[in-house]
This record gives sequence, structure tokens and C-alpha cells, in this order.
Amino acid sequence: MVRLAREAQGAGTVPDADAAVTLDNPLCGDRVTVEVRVREGVVAAIAHRVRGCVLCEAAASLIGRTMPGARVELAAEGRAAVAAVLRSAAAAPSGSWAGLSVFAPVAGVPSRQRCVLLPFEALCEALANAASRSGRSPP
Amino acid sequence: MKRGVLAELLRHIDAKRPVVLVTDLGSGDARLVDPFGDGAGLDPDLFQEARAAAVQDRSMRVERATGPVFLRVFNPAVKVVIVGAVHVAQSLAPMVQLTGYDVIVVDPRRAFATSDRFRGITLSDEWPDDALARIGLGRRTAVVTMTHDPKIDDPALAAALRSDAFYIGALGSKKTQAARRDRLGELGFGDADLARIHGPVGLTIGAVSTGEIAVSILAELIASLRKSVEAARPAAAPRAS
Repeated sequence: MVRLAREAQGAGTVPDADAAVTLDNPLCGDRVTVEVRVREGVVAAIAHRVRGCVLCEAAASLIGRTMPGARVELAAEGRAAVAAVLRSAAAAPSGSWAGLSVFAPVAGVPSRQRCVLLPFEALCEALANAASRSGRSPP
Repeated sequence: MKRGVLAELLRHIDAKRPVVLVTDLGSGDARLVDPFGDGAGLDPDLFQEARAAAVQDRSMRVERATGPVFLRVFNPAVKVVIVGAVHVAQSLAPMVQLTGYDVIVVDPRRAFATSDRFRGITLSDEWPDDALARIGLGRRTAVVTMTHDPKIDDPALAAALRSDAFYIGALGSKKTQAARRDRLGELGFGDADLARIHGPVGLTIGAVSTGEIAVSILAELIASLRKSVEAARPAAAPRAS
């Protein structure tokens, strides 16, 4: 997971982004910005900027690896899957989000779960904003 | 002083740039000089005197072969950046203000950096490296870290070490200081750099409460400022001032 965090896949900004969302955790200071450009229901470009702990960085990196070129619905699937992994120690789904298994150890540490969830929440909110800008209903 | 010189002086003050007003006491002519610039247009000896006066934060009269000259130093206010909106900061920040310095408390944990906890104090919820880059660190700034969270303290200390800040302090026990030295060492800072960090921070006065700790930090900070001023004083014969 530390390696995933260090890779920081997808770090950066998106020129001509349709939406950018910044969320933070007021208690620990983690802060993540996700920028997206969407074309015809598919993520044409996505980038993130993270300041925070290694869990937050790893989650953002996984998103940066998984979401480019994906249909927007995959974001909500990812958020639901990571919540299940963290809250009920469920196994990661097979398929695009199999990489979530790296967060299995966090299931036993409730105080750190928000750090993993934060980038997923920013991702979903950014995609929802992008959809409402274009007049489509959010995923 | 001519109005044009006054206007230029005010521009320097607004931009928080140090400047020395050099007045020929015979003719009354006054001009401004950037003491940390290249001294173009000024006699090299006189420029050295102006620079020394600025570093010492001491306006002074100097006797020149051509007659006496007065060097009036206009330095930006000392600024203290406290990283960590914690209890010690709640005591230290107002004390820094009462001492006459500028203070800003930086903490990206918005739950800590609230205006109820820090009335009348400038706050920033940026991450420290962003905040310090925006604030600008120099020889008239001090940085003290106290979040107890390495992911927040370390970037602040790294930024401070890359600057000319006159005082860098880090709250934390001897054990945490050792771990911090290792982490900062991995970022490429050598022993001489790391020696600039005062940690455990504060003069050893047996401080116990947050207020006492704040006093010990402020005292150490002031001593550092005045010592660096003293150290910069050229070892010359005493002059009339």
C-alpha cells in the first residue's frame, strides 16, 4: 500500500476540467482534490492532488490507476466496494476494483477508515457535479 | 526628505522589504538603499555599513571622510509562524503579538484552527509547505512546529531549513526528535542543517504548564534573534551613535 501511495498514479490537474472537488478531514488534515473531464458517460481525464496520510494517498493512487477511460458508474461501485471492505471486512470484488484488497488491514482501525474513503467521496462528488453541469442525471 | 524618496520608502515598507535611508547630515540629501542588494551607486564602504546596520537592526550615525552620515534602518516586522493549532499555540500566539511581532498559526486540521480558539490571531488552514511558500520565509521569520503529526510538522521543518529563518523550533520529546532527525536526514538535510532545529524547543526553565512552555519558547526565540544580531555585528572599534 505504501508503494501504491508513492506511485501517486494520476497525480496532477486536468486542463478544462468539467468539475473539481476538494474534500478534507478536519480532524487529521487530509485534503484531496479530484478533477474530472467526462465525455459520453466515460471518464476522459482524471487527476488528483492529495495532502495527507499514506492511506489517503494510496486510495487516490488506486483511483488514478482505475478510473481513466472507465464509465462513470464505476466510481460509485468503487465507493460501495471500499466501504464494504473497510466496514465489514468484506473481500474486494473481482474486476476493476480488486486492488481494494490492499486496504483490508484498515478494517480493524475505525479511526483511519475516513482517510481511505475521502478520495472516493471526492471522486463521486466530482462526477456528480460534472453530470449536472452537462444536464445529465448523476450516476 | 524629498517626497519621491518618501514614496519609495513607503513602497518598500508595504512590500515588507528591508531598506536603509542614508542621509548625509551635512547636506541633508537622503537616498534609499537595499542593504541586501548589490549596492550599486553607493560607496562600497558605506554600503557595507548599511548592510551591517540592517542585519543588526540598529540605526546608527557613521563618520565618513566626507562628513557624518545617518543610516536609518527600516526592517520588516519579525514574523513567527506557529505550525499546529494546539494548546501551547493558544498561549504562545498572543504572547508573540504582545512582544510586538507578527504571528500566524498554520494547521490544515480545520477542527483545531478555529477562530474561537485563537481570537484576534491570523490563522491558515493550508498545508504548511503551501502556507510557508505563500508567507515567505526569510531572516526575520521564525518557525515553530507543534502538531505532533510528522506528516504536518516535517514539511514545515523542511521548508524552514531551506530558508534563512532565524529560529526553527520543534516541540516533542528527545525520542521524537531523534526519529525526526532520521526522517529529515533522508530528505537530504545534513548535520549542520539539523543543528538549526531547536528541539526539544524552549529554554530550560523547568516549564510545566502550556503557558510556561509558551514563555520558554518565546524566550528562546528572542535570544536567537538577538544572538544572530550580535553575531553579525562587525568586530570594529566602537563608533558614536
